[in-house]
Amino acid sequence: MNAYARYFLKKSGWYLVTLLIALILNFLLPRLIEGNPVSTIASQVSQGMTDSDSIKKVYDNFMKEFGVDKPLLAQFGIYLKKLVTGDLGTSFGLYPRKVSDILMAAVPWTVALQLPAILVGWIIGNVLGAVAAYRKGVFDKVLFPAALFVNSIPFFTLAIIMLYLLAITLKWFPMSGGYDYQMVPHFSLDFILSVLRHHTLPFLSIVLVTIGGQAIGMREMSIYELNSDYVLYSKLLGIRDSRVARYVFKNAMLPQITGLALSIGTMVGGSLICEIVFSYPGIGTWLFTAIRQLDYPLISGCTLLIALTVLLANFTIEIVYGIVDPRIKASQMEEN
Amino acid sequence: MSRKLADLQPELAPEPLRRVLEVEGLKTYYRTRLNEKVFAVDGVDFALEEGKALGIAGESGCGKSTLSMSLMGFYFPPLYYGEGSISIGGIDIMKLGKERLRKQILGREIAYIPQAAMNALNPTLKIIRFIEDLMKEHQPKLTKPQVRAMAEERFRTLHLAPEVLDAYPSELSGGMKQRTVIAISTILNPKVLVADEPTSALDVTSQKAVIRLLKELLDKKFIRSLIFITHELPLLYHVTDDIMVMYAGEIVERGTAQQMVFDPVHPYTKRLMGSIIVPEEGMKDHKLSAIPGAPPNLKNVPEGCRFAERCDFAREECRSGKIPMRVEAGRTYRCIFGVDTLKEWYADEEVQR
Repeated sequence: MNAYARYFLKKSGWYLVTLLIALILNFLLPRLIEGNPVSTIASQVSQGMTDSDSIKKVYDNFMKEFGVDKPLLAQFGIYLKKLVTGDLGTSFGLYPRKVSDILMAAVPWTVALQLPAILVGWIIGNVLGAVAAYRKGVFDKVLFPAALFVNSIPFFTLAIIMLYLLAITLKWFPMSGGYDYQMVPHFSLDFILSVLRHHTLPFLSIVLVTIGGQAIGMREMSIYELNSDYVLYSKLLGIRDSRVARYVFKNAMLPQITGLALSIGTMVGGSLICEIVFSYPGIGTWLFTAIRQLDYPLISGCTLLIALTVLLANFTIEIVYGIVDPRIKASQMEEN
Repeated sequence: MSRKLADLQPELAPEPLRRVLEVEGLKTYYRTRLNEKVFAVDGVDFALEEGKALGIAGESGCGKSTLSMSLMGFYFPPLYYGEGSISIGGIDIMKLGKERLRKQILGREIAYIPQAAMNALNPTLKIIRFIEDLMKEHQPKLTKPQVRAMAEERFRTLHLAPEVLDAYPSELSGGMKQRTVIAISTILNPKVLVADEPTSALDVTSQKAVIRLLKELLDKKFIRSLIFITHELPLLYHVTDDIMVMYAGEIVERGTAQQMVFDPVHPYTKRLMGSIIVPEEGMKDHKLSAIPGAPPNLKNVPEGCRFAERCDFAREECRSGKIPMRVEAGRTYRCIFGVDTLKEWYADEEVQR
């Protein structure tokens, strides 16, 4: 086995350890929140009941059903055991729906909103940043402050401003949801159009923010690379500008790849605010609902999903980096 | 004498030295933020014959690095071309357009070795890939295997391991990187090689290897002439035939390496040689003389001799008009005083000490 393979084996071990810690925190943190989820549910179910014995019975039943009556460690054991079989438990708040079902229904919404938005924003942002660095002049003087401006607006403010301007004042787009509320999800042109209409505003808000951040990063990196010695040396040997530009932008792209992978990795968690503002039926909205209802299994399910995607993204970055940049590959092999 | 002989018997005479590089009245300047022109190369004339190595020396900021960049005919902000001509093999490269300069001259006729070879190579490109890219520009008909064969052959000739070709720059040591850069720069057998402080960042062993490599390139005629820029004068003595000393954007003296090191005429050259650190016995007691003061601000060059401010022998007449180059007793230097006068002064100074 060569040093490179050994490096990744060792790295994988560390990622597993990280995942285990994440699992513990996923389990523990929701349960540290003040409050008792069962009493909320029990009081809902027992609404109208007057007999305190029956109410107590309902409460105890739920305690048992959810396993909240056992000590924490035992609960964790059950959680792990179930997790191995792929069972994320039953939602408290949406009893008796399975957490995995809720997540399965939510993930496509989140991915369909975030992935295209991040990719489009990333590509446009990088192209703009590279052009600004290469062309300089007016383009740079306008683009750079604009990107800086957009990038410094907190996302929730930007989202709310867009919502106010484009949905409430101009009424170009619907205000909230993933599709018209009177519709039932089904495969028809009407439904798809409705989804697209609802998709546009949250999509644009993410694209705008991504463009700003990426353009700034790419511009800085490109300027740095354009001023490096190898650019001058290559040009003095008569290598054409377009080829030198290719060197420059390939090298400037490297940190941007990390940016892309990270934002795809944090996609699920990162969409929280956007989904809440636009009441979009993705993971973010569910996580928000789950926290409000102290829905332990659903919170753990959402955070587990986020942890997994982040770890996976990081791992992918390391592999990709090793392939693209020899300097990093060398340092990875040295680490062994 | 020899010239007369040559006239009479042309077939017996040695072939007259061909000039590979001729620079006339070259002026290049930097544009400051306030849009002022700062002439870092201010009217430079010199010629370089085939097979010769010319050294350019001077303090930091004297314009030697700018001159080396300017010789390439390739200008980009903040450096601009003012006037003058640079002829390589009889072609004035300043009259060619940017594209023809790139295609016909850069890398083929004149090549450059940068000050910081450490970063001269693209870190994410294997050496051979870069050479392939270089060949795509200048020898587009060669196939990849041909390029590799050619590169391997050249590397082997220059005692560089051909394995280097498959390395990334980060895998090479500093000295190795510098020699690789030199090998790449000269792969197309340029007429002129301009080396800007190629040894300054290296340890002594690597310095020697680089010097040996440069000499080898000249001997094997891979390059037809060499311009070696450095602030280390002893080094120039070993490498070059002629040395030129620059001060405040002008050449102040040119002579053979022997003359310049052991018998300088211009007061500035004299002072420069006096400030060399030579390890020898009793050196600790030897008082090292530094040149007092600093070179003039090029934004605002004084009238007359630019060195007058710092010169021990400066007179009133030094501070007016333009001081031309003076050719006297086989010496070329920029001073209003004769060789004998200057030498007398130097002798007096020696006595006083």
